[in-house]
Amino acid sequence: MNFEPTIISFLCNWCSYTGADLAGTARMKYAPNIRIIRLMCSGRVDPTFVLESFKKGADGVLICGCHPGDCHYHEGNYKCLRRYHFLKKYITQLGIEPERLHLEWISASEGKQFAELINSFTETIRELGPSKIKNVIETYT
Amino acid sequence: MATRVDPNFMQSLEKFGVKDWKGCFHCGNCTASCPLIEEEYQFPRKVIRQAQMGLKDRLESNIDLWMCYFCGDCTKTCPREANPCELMRSIRRYQISAYDWTGLSKKFFTSQKWELSFFFGIAILILILFAIFLPPSPELWTNPTRFINEQGGVMINNMVDGISGEKFLYIIHYGDWIMAFVAGGLLITNILHMFYLTLWRDKSVQIPFYAYFTQLWKLIYHFATQPKLRKCDDKLYWLGHMVFMTGYTIMFVLIVGMLPRFQIEEVVPWYNWQRILGYYATIGIIVFLIPVVIGRFRKNKCKLKYSHFTDWHFIIMLILTTISGILIHIFRLAGMPVATYFSYVIHLAILVPMIMIEVPFSKWSHLAYRPFAIYIAALKKAVVKKKQPEQVPVFA
Amino acid sequence: MEEIRIGVYVCWCGTNISKMVDVEDVAREIETLPYVVVARDYKYMCSDPGQDLIINDIKKHKLNRIVVSACSPRIHELTFRKALENAGLNPYMFEMANIREHVSWVHTSREDATKKAKALVAGAVSRVRWHNSLDKRFVEINPATLIIGGGISGISAALEIADSGKQVYLIEKTGQLGGFAAKIDLSSPFMYSAPQMINPKIDKIFKHPQITVFLNTQVEEMSGYYGNFTTKIKTEEDHEVELKFGNIILAIGLSTFDPSVIENYKYGKIPDVITSLEFEQYLISGKILRKDGSVPKNVAIIHCVGSRNSNYHDYCSRLCCKNALKYSNLIRAAIPDANIFELYSDMRAMGDGCEELYSATSRKNVMFLMFDQKNGMPDIREASSDDNCKMVIEMDEKLSGERVEIPADLVILMVAIEAQKEAKKLAQAIGISMCGNQFFIERHPKLDPVATTTDGVYIVGSCQAPKGIPHSVAQARAATARILARINVGHVEVEAATAKVNEDICCGCQTCISICPYSAISLDEEKQVSVVNEVLCKGCGTCCSACPNGAIRAQHFTDTQILSQIDGLLEKSLQLQEGLL
Repeated sequence: MNFEPTIISFLCNWCSYTGADLAGTARMKYAPNIRIIRLMCSGRVDPTFVLESFKKGADGVLICGCHPGDCHYHEGNYKCLRRYHFLKKYITQLGIEPERLHLEWISASEGKQFAELINSFTETIRELGPSKIKNVIETYT
Repeated sequence: MATRVDPNFMQSLEKFGVKDWKGCFHCGNCTASCPLIEEEYQFPRKVIRQAQMGLKDRLESNIDLWMCYFCGDCTKTCPREANPCELMRSIRRYQISAYDWTGLSKKFFTSQKWELSFFFGIAILILILFAIFLPPSPELWTNPTRFINEQGGVMINNMVDGISGEKFLYIIHYGDWIMAFVAGGLLITNILHMFYLTLWRDKSVQIPFYAYFTQLWKLIYHFATQPKLRKCDDKLYWLGHMVFMTGYTIMFVLIVGMLPRFQIEEVVPWYNWQRILGYYATIGIIVFLIPVVIGRFRKNKCKLKYSHFTDWHFIIMLILTTISGILIHIFRLAGMPVATYFSYVIHLAILVPMIMIEVPFSKWSHLAYRPFAIYIAALKKAVVKKKQPEQVPVFA
Repeated sequence: MEEIRIGVYVCWCGTNISKMVDVEDVAREIETLPYVVVARDYKYMCSDPGQDLIINDIKKHKLNRIVVSACSPRIHELTFRKALENAGLNPYMFEMANIREHVSWVHTSREDATKKAKALVAGAVSRVRWHNSLDKRFVEINPATLIIGGGISGISAALEIADSGKQVYLIEKTGQLGGFAAKIDLSSPFMYSAPQMINPKIDKIFKHPQITVFLNTQVEEMSGYYGNFTTKIKTEEDHEVELKFGNIILAIGLSTFDPSVIENYKYGKIPDVITSLEFEQYLISGKILRKDGSVPKNVAIIHCVGSRNSNYHDYCSRLCCKNALKYSNLIRAAIPDANIFELYSDMRAMGDGCEELYSATSRKNVMFLMFDQKNGMPDIREASSDDNCKMVIEMDEKLSGERVEIPADLVILMVAIEAQKEAKKLAQAIGISMCGNQFFIERHPKLDPVATTTDGVYIVGSCQAPKGIPHSVAQARAATARILARINVGHVEVEAATAKVNEDICCGCQTCISICPYSAISLDEEKQVSVVNEVLCKGCGTCCSACPNGAIRAQHFTDTQILSQIDGLLEKSLQLQEGLL
């Protein structure tokens, strides 16, 4: 049986969540592996959220925010970007492939880009296979 | 090579009878509703488009238009009431005038004066010829019984003094031949011109020689049965047209080809072939003409709603010819020599100009052009299939 | 702690959801989750009976948390919060799971979609457990309004607001009011004189005691929030003025496409190839002449110059077709024997009177020729001496499939409508979103067309998308109605989901203070803890993610709530993950 990954995604309310809504309104089709969590701003993405997702069994985590300069809260997306780079290194040290975490800017009008992103990211994770970190945690605790 | 558009063409086409054309916005409903189009013949939209853009060369070479029998479905569905059916008819008049190399056809279609002058000119010529060369014998009035045969009918060929019955018959017979040769000759040259415009002018098209023979059956088949007209909804119209067409074809053959056996002195019983055929032709013509005339007055059928003056001329000439022909017959059987003579002269004075106008130049010529158009289309198809098998027209 | 009692409602949305998601199965399984007291499915949850279902259940089953699994919360979250309020429950005790836009409309397998829907609902159930009651907060509203842009939209809005006795600041970047409407002669399709329509309004603006006009002025920055915005502008006389106002209307209008980038059209190279805007000047002057002073015999009008073409703009500029038809009519009236050609790619003259105008124009002996945007763009060249005209346009005529040439002495290019160049800067200064074509985006394309995602900021006229005078005026008045209604209430509700500091944990490191984009957090010098100004805080939550010891909480987006939602989404007790994990 083919491996079907589970992906947790954090979308900011103003751009990316609206973009995802637009993909729906336009009836674009994408892979069903994604679970969307709405936050007010990508700046709200706490590193804990990402780590917890991996811990609880997510195979990939996707963060989407407004394009640089378009943040509803002026600069939350920049804060997110900085945490993202930090988190990439951090999960690598934990033994999680850095490709499992991804950040992308999606504006409110980019429904098509959103659908394409989900498909390509799902494909990436599918190729990586199941995340092993959950088993590691279970083994050592 | 790009063709220059002609924005004034449509206005020049108005003289050929088109009305309301300006409403057209090329939606294509006409093509969608047409029962006659096939993949390779696309109209009315394509033809209308060519006319709107003033692409005269394209119109002249367009053969598709001849597949149309003006059933009027397109006009019924036209959302802009642009009357595509009438436009098609006008373009066909334009095409007939384009095929005619003498230029007379264009004059007749665009000017009522020209057509009437031509008609009366020939009619008077016929009357003068009779007055000079075949004047009535004075004894028609003084001694009418001299002209009655044993069956009580008028001896139609013996009404001129000094000219024997046989001689009279052959004068008329050769006169008919001259008329047929002139009219037919003009028609044949026009058909050749039609071949040039629609087929031979385009040098890139090479028709294989054998195709002229292998496709010939189509010419005959379509001439004889008019299968395209049968496709239109109004089947009764096809039947009427069929009777009408066979009627006047028979009449034409009887008069032009077999006059010495048709116009005989003795009155034969009704079941003789001359009379049977004559009655069939006469009834055929009348049976079709009556509803057509009523329809043209009532204007409730699309096909007959819009009458160009050439349509009326044709009908009137046909009716007069038919009525005068019937009168000859009645007067003859009734033994009335004077009436017979004059109805005979009048009959010819109407018939001859009608043939001269209609056969090579006007409406009647579609009898020849249409089967030839189908023949030409078949020839074109033979080429298209051989040379460019994948070419499919993109836009209707 | 009160006992948690959750009600879950799964919406069919007619067939929109139920076609792809087995809603009954979702409700059945969710009912087995802890704390869930009732789980139901219903045809249309947003309908009155649907809302009554929730209200009755709250009363009957003593529910204190509600999850609605339906469309996007961006559409109906407020509807259901209202329902909770009506039932006497705090509106924040509510969570929505989006199983329409994010599930049924985007997936193709009913099995997968149902599984995903269960996961999303489980996430929402798990999150709503930790929801707290939040109190509504209100601030006074400043009754003044700032309007940026002095075109027909801005002018209409300004007069409407000012006539009700409220102050308006009208800012225009050029030296005169009127915008594009003042640059045209007659408006299509009804041929009203545009100056006659707009000039009396401009006069009224300048005389109006409630309107302050700033010409040659631009807005560079904006601060404050809904009800209380502030901006500093430099006036013509170089005075710096600070303006305070409660609402903003953006009416910055449009600019036009520069056709010189389309090489086929030789704009700028052949003098008698002109834009539609230049032709309006010909019409205003009353003379349709070539540059050499002669009367053109052949006039060609090319549509879609820069519109509906993937090389330039994909969108339709909406006004060009009817304007082109207007030109044909006016040229026919001025030069009765001219040959007029309209080269179009699709006729899109929509709206009142436009189809009639098209029909009337086509009856005036105007030749319409269709070109293909991808493969058949017309090509203009200067004519040779035997062409009998000044220019020749060559094109593949789409409807006939013929390559044709068209004589022309004057060519009018119907240039596309574009967003203003400064739109992006303004959007960033004010904090609203733009679409890919640099037009401002409305809050909801169907249900909230003049508001933006920033409360108190409205977009009207062509800065939102190309539109004509009637639509611009309608939008302007729609926005003013919203603003005046709000001003009438006197106060606005501001975000209740702000950040909150737990003073017992805060160590006073001031990380949050440096990170807050609204300077809403300050240090209490005495207690050495951070304090959030709830009026300034917009609830973005950036501070909470930065706080090293979790002392600052983004209310309604707390760590616990989000982590529980993650738990719920990855819940295994339901059979939703089989085949996925």
